[in-house]
Order: sequence, then C-alpha cells, then structure tokens
Amino acid sequence: MESKTNSETKSQRHSIFSKHEISMLGIRSNLVQSSFSYERMHAPGFTWAQLPYWEKIYRDDPKGLSRVMTDNMEFINSSPPLYPILMGLLLSMEEDHVDSQTIKGLKNALFGPMAGIGDAIFWFTIMPIVGGISASIAKSGNVLGPILFFLVYLFLFWTRIPLAHLGYNLGAKAIDIIEDNSKIISHVASILGLTVIGALIASYVKMKLTIKVGAGGAVIDLQRQLLDKIFPNLLPFAFVFLLYWLLKKNINPIWLIIVTFALAIVMSLLGWM
Amino acid sequence: MEITFIQGLLIAIWAMIAGLDCWLQAFFIFRPIIVCTITGLILGDLKMGVIAGGLTELAFAGLTPAGGTQPPNTVLCGIMTVVVAYTNNIAPQTAIGLSLPFAMLMQYILLIYYSSFSLFLPSFDRYAEEGNAKAFKRLNLVPMVIVTLSFGIVAFLSAYAAQGPMRTLVNSMPHWLTHGFELAGGILPAVGFAMLLKVMLKARYLPYLLLGFVVASMIPFSNVLPVALVGAVFAMIEFYHSKDEEKTMAKIKELEVNNQGGGMNDGI
Repeated sequence: MESKTNSETKSQRHSIFSKHEISMLGIRSNLVQSSFSYERMHAPGFTWAQLPYWEKIYRDDPKGLSRVMTDNMEFINSSPPLYPILMGLLLSMEEDHVDSQTIKGLKNALFGPMAGIGDAIFWFTIMPIVGGISASIAKSGNVLGPILFFLVYLFLFWTRIPLAHLGYNLGAKAIDIIEDNSKIISHVASILGLTVIGALIASYVKMKLTIKVGAGGAVIDLQRQLLDKIFPNLLPFAFVFLLYWLLKKNINPIWLIIVTFALAIVMSLLGWM
Repeated sequence: MEITFIQGLLIAIWAMIAGLDCWLQAFFIFRPIIVCTITGLILGDLKMGVIAGGLTELAFAGLTPAGGTQPPNTVLCGIMTVVVAYTNNIAPQTAIGLSLPFAMLMQYILLIYYSSFSLFLPSFDRYAEEGNAKAFKRLNLVPMVIVTLSFGIVAFLSAYAAQGPMRTLVNSMPHWLTHGFELAGGILPAVGFAMLLKVMLKARYLPYLLLGFVVASMIPFSNVLPVALVGAVFAMIEFYHSKDEEKTMAKIKELEVNNQGGGMNDGI
C-alpha cells in the first residue's frame, strides 16, 4: 500500500515545481544566515529559504507543514555556497513524501561533510587565489583588480542555480556522490590551497631588516648579506610559523594582531626595519 | 581632507549594503577589495580606494570566518582604511593599522548578535509548530534589519563623526609610530596565513606549502596564478592517484571476500 502511494507521487514529481522555481531555490539559499545564532546556527534561515516550497507541497495539510518546519528548526551548519545541493535534494525527497525520520537523518549526515568540502573549496582555495590575484592587480591602482574579484564571485553566486537543479534532479543519488567524493575533493583542494598559501607568504608578507651591523671595521647589511644568502623571504616564513605555533597553543587571533603591531612598532623605534 | 555630511551618509548607505552582504555572504562585496574601491569612489579618489583595496584584501587574505573564529570585520576595516588615508593624507598601508580598532568594534558587535539572536529561537519554534509561515518569514527580517542598521550607524559615526579626533590622533603620532603602523600593514597578512595553516596544515601537506613558497621565492612573477597552476598540477596528479587507489582497494576487498569463501568451501 505504502509503496503504491510512493510510486504515484514520484510519477507526478516534476509537475509540482517548475524549472524556474528550482532556480529560485538556488537564489533563496542565500538566506540561510539571515537569523544566525550560535545556538542553532543556520536553522531559521534554512527553514525560511525552503518555506514557500513546503507551503506548496502541504497546501491542504497544515499538520504536514508544521511537522516539516519543526524538523528543519534543528541545528544545522554547513557551507553556504553548497546549500543549494542539500536543499534541492531534501526538496525532492519531501515532495516524494519520504519518511520524515529518513529525511532528517540524511540532512544530519550530510551537512557536516558538506561544510568540510565547502570550506576547503571556497574559503581555503578560491578565496586566497582570487583574492591574491585581484589584490596584486589592484595594488598598483588598477581598477581591473576589484572588477575581476567581483565577476568571479558573481559567477559563484550564479552557480547556486545549477547546484540546486543538481541536488533536485539527483535526489537520493546525490548522497552517494557526495559521500564517495568528499574526502578526495577536500584532499585535492588542500593541496592546491596550501601551494598557493606558500606562494602568498613569500610574495605578500613584507619583512625586511634595514639594520647594518659593524663587525670589526666591516659593515654588514644583515638582510642582504646574511638572511637573503641563507634563503629569500626567510623572515616572513619564520614569522608565519611563529604565529602558527601560537595559534596551536590556542592563543586568540586578536593577540596575534597585537603581537604583530607591537613587533612592527618596536622594530620601527629601534630603526631595525 | 574633510568628509562632508553627504559623503558620510553615502558611506553609511554603502556600509549597510556591504554589511548585509557580510551577514548573508551572498555576493562577497563585503570583502575589502570591493569595500575600499566603492568607498574611494564615494570620496572622489577611486585610485586610492583601489590601492587600499589591494593592500587590505591581502592583509585579510586568511582572516576568514571559516573554522569557527570571527575575524575583525572586513566592511569597517575597508571603509576606515580609505577614510583614514583620505582625511589624514597618509598612505593606505599606514591607515590599515588605524582602521583595525573600528573593525574589531564591529566584530564584537557581531559576536554579541551571534549570542543574543538565540533569543529569537523560541518564537521561531512556536511559529514552526503552528505552521504559521507568514509570521515565520516576518521574524526572519528582524535580525537582518538590526544587523543592517548597526553597520550603517557604526560606519557613519566612525567615518563622519570621529574624523576630527582621528585627525588629532594621527597628527600627534611621532614618525616612528606611523612608520611602525606602515610596517605592521605589510606584516599583517602573516596573521591570516597562520590562521589558514592552523585549519589546513597537516604533515602530509607540508611539501606543497614548501613547494609554493620556494617557487614564489625563486621565480619573479606579478601574481600568484603561475604558482596556483603548479599547485593544480599536483592536485590533479593526486586526484587520479587517489581514484586509482580507491579502485585497487575495492578490488583487493573483493578478492579477499572471494578467497575467504573459497577457503571455507575447501575446508568442508
């Protein structure tokens, strides 16, 4: 009996939401952080973004609407740009009236790994690369820098639409794809991201000694004649690792900023930099 | 130079737009490179805005909200870097340091919101239980309005109302202090990179960090794209390698299962 109703709704499935509505789900996924709080993170915004769709599914079923709203008010915290996949996938299941415990279980199983992939791709790989490149253009006063940055992120904004369709069309199949690939993708993104961070440290952390030391009549330029001979950019690299070590000791990042300023001001006062 | 009342208002409006984007993370116009450029445009010095944008973006490259820490706010930092540089006629690199207190002020305001917005949750829960979609949608607008207005007010007070005291402060700073701030602006990206490393660095990835560092130190180039391509090469090699490994592991498992089955049959 139950399987029969399932197959009936499935056959009608694509008639309920138009393509345009699924695209709008991608756009609406931008609302997830609207009522962010530490207690349940994205939950209220996540519910809000999907609400019009549930209103359509449960038009004549106020109990169903209340049930799905309550279910989605549970804690959720994932990577904002990847929400369209999750929402599309959940919507296709909600539309098929899959058992609510199953949907909830899947949602809870997926948002964590998706947060990992999303952070690795968007914050740790794309942001340093795009930010680094457009900032290096902008530094000389070239307005193409900010324009390039804006266009790349406009494109990423737009990708929410195909991602929503992807999630919706794949339905439950998306779960296997995400679970199979999440490890490899964040692994590969880490490789790319760390290579770029290595380059950014060398290019953009500016630390050069100006002090010259007199040693028995001969004057030695510490930066050019000593540090650069050992390895260029030695100071920036060492300083980043000093800060990294402090962070590993669970020191608040604000202190690192204060240490940086203190160091710079002391160096300036002594005339060493 | 002085910021007029109209410019102050325009900056406040821009802060509200960028601030809302910062809250939702939709278009990423809350990043310093965009914030500084538009602020420069408002003040009639686009070029300085763009330069400040490049410098501030680098200083904030690794200061991301991912990984659980809320960094100093990029919108206020971007606006105030340009404003301080403009009103005091100093280099943007020096101004970054002076903009940080404002960025931290906004950061703390947001941290308070992150905690106190939990107070809305009981109402959200009630509307959800009642299935009251209309009220639920309306309630979601409240935090957004609060955040947007806060950005506007803080930016207006910082940029317009505080410019007099700020000028007095900057004028009274001795040379070693302004030079120190300038140096700090150049070193500041290190903090962001260290934060990225804290989240990303594992022993197995250290070779790639060193690779990027060595390539960038040895080969002169104008941006990081070439090194990104070197990284992409290794990422691709590793991707196919991992895929192959996965297949091999699956095959080994299959064989093991078959062998076990065979062994039991032999035993009988």
